[in-house]
Amino acid sequence: MLLAADGFRLGGDRGRDRASRRLSAARAPLRHRALAGALALAAALVGAGAARADVEPDEHGQVAVLPAQPGSHWVWVPDRVLRHAQLFDGDTGTMLGTLDGTAGNLSGPAPLFSPKRGEIYVVDPVYARGHRGERKDYVVIYDAVTLAVRGEVEIPPRSASIGHGYQLAAVLDDERFLVVFNQDPANSVSVVDLETRRFVEEIVIGGCALVYPTGGSQFGTLCGNGTAIEVELDASGHKQRATRSETFFDTVRDPLTEKGVRDGARWLFASFEGRLQAVDFSAEQPVAAPAWPLFTDAERGARWRIGGMQHLAFHRGTQRLYALVHQGGPGSHKDPGSAIWVYDVARRQRVQDIAVPGLLPAFARPILELPRGGWGEWLLRQVSPNPGAHSIAVTQDAHPLLFVRHGEIGALGVVDALSGALVREIDEIGISGPTLLVPPGP
Amino acid sequence: MTGLDALLERYARRLARRSDRRGFLAKLGALVVGGAALPLLPIARGLAAAPDGKARPAEVDGPAGDPTSCEYWRHCAIDGFLCSCCGGSQTSCPPGTEMAPITWIGTCRNPADGKDYAIWYNDCCGRGFCGRCFCNRNEGDRPVYHPYRSNDINWCSGASTQVYHCSTALVIGLAEEGQPEK
Repeated sequence: MLLAADGFRLGGDRGRDRASRRLSAARAPLRHRALAGALALAAALVGAGAARADVEPDEHGQVAVLPAQPGSHWVWVPDRVLRHAQLFDGDTGTMLGTLDGTAGNLSGPAPLFSPKRGEIYVVDPVYARGHRGERKDYVVIYDAVTLAVRGEVEIPPRSASIGHGYQLAAVLDDERFLVVFNQDPANSVSVVDLETRRFVEEIVIGGCALVYPTGGSQFGTLCGNGTAIEVELDASGHKQRATRSETFFDTVRDPLTEKGVRDGARWLFASFEGRLQAVDFSAEQPVAAPAWPLFTDAERGARWRIGGMQHLAFHRGTQRLYALVHQGGPGSHKDPGSAIWVYDVARRQRVQDIAVPGLLPAFARPILELPRGGWGEWLLRQVSPNPGAHSIAVTQDAHPLLFVRHGEIGALGVVDALSGALVREIDEIGISGPTLLVPPGP
Repeated sequence: MTGLDALLERYARRLARRSDRRGFLAKLGALVVGGAALPLLPIARGLAAAPDGKARPAEVDGPAGDPTSCEYWRHCAIDGFLCSCCGGSQTSCPPGTEMAPITWIGTCRNPADGKDYAIWYNDCCGRGFCGRCFCNRNEGDRPVYHPYRSNDINWCSGASTQVYHCSTALVIGLAEEGQPEK
């Protein structure tokens, strides 16, 4: 221990000296003993507190990693302005990591996860000089634990850039092949072999758009003539089969929105006018089931419609379909939803209404530098309108969470997908973006 | 409904209508909690007077005649930043950018003459987001499997660079029929 004369005594020791002097003062008449005892106890406590170990110097160069198994309540939030996607944990509201995108992508990067390979994939259109120069497109391969780049596969420089960012690429169920929708503006699909990390081939799907995994090495796509096509790849990733359905929807009068949700080998799509259309891809040829209405005549009369950017979510275990709905007219199919209606798909019945959380206060509070829980935030919550939500996504576990996003408001709503109760808001999630991606579970 | 309620509802509806893609300026609007957006000048400059004295199209007063307004009549199916706010106009790209050669087509009714016109919404490419005057209206818009009616597609994909900056609204000519919804 350094001496006081050195003028350099550690605080903890100084505290103990003070306590000692006070104990001496306690040698006093009996009537003062109780008071002195209390003082001594307090001083000892103060001394003990001051004697806590100092903060140790930190080790330089530490980098966090993610758990080997993704959380069942994780969600990626792509941002088109900040050109990245960030991973959040819905259970804690904490941010876990970031993957970057590029200027050539209009909707922000959409991370695709392969549990078997422990890898995450992002499609990056890259220009040699940032916004200009030669374009090259890559599927960038990230380690799912470290988020470090493991490799990349160059693909034809035609990957699609679409504002809604929905189903532009997919890892097929075999986790062997990844498919990328191209539009330059002709439509095709690039196939990447994730095992060999090589581009395999470009499959022309003229008149059709987007990629919907349907099982094994197969994917579906929706077509402008009111049909769907299913493509099956062979063991090397080349096209083995492409079969087209019968015509089952009118692309002008009542088109299906392309924001379908998956239930095994079938996909569920909603039409502009509110028909729910299931398309089964389990057979050789895609088959559309009879559509059924999401809205009663009275609800249609009250102008209830589907709408948003990612306006459907589906929980396979409970067969519950979540639909963002609003009151509006024709042409409002991208307007944000003011409510979330929940359907039992097996019974074809609406079973629950969930309120869309108003995300404006959570977004504005940190920008306005209002303390959390203070009167300023209270006032903000009283006066803020609720602009609704563009996008929803649900986790697939037994206690699912529903994530809710407005495309231009940087806050995320986390809702108990069974009770409908708001669990939390996550602020500062970015600036703008249309989609939410829940990584597939193990 | 109180005046404040009406104001907030109007604000919310405007935000909802205009918020879809590319629109990070909506963030700025979102900060004006309980407030109104910037006023839009009631000017009509969409169609200039013909210098040769020929008859010119009737002009439109108010936002429907203002190319910097989302309510401009040609903008009925636009999705993006208005080039009129970005150094260009409804018919020209801003300096340094490139007009995409192909695009989607909308059909908008001109309130001045009551006629339907086919509109090209050519994107301007080669600079990052303009970030001003975001507007998303979807009259006649269709999903991306119907590309020439789809405003979600980044039509800079047909230009030398896919980097999107803003959107124009060029009249092609009279439309033979109105939008599917009308």
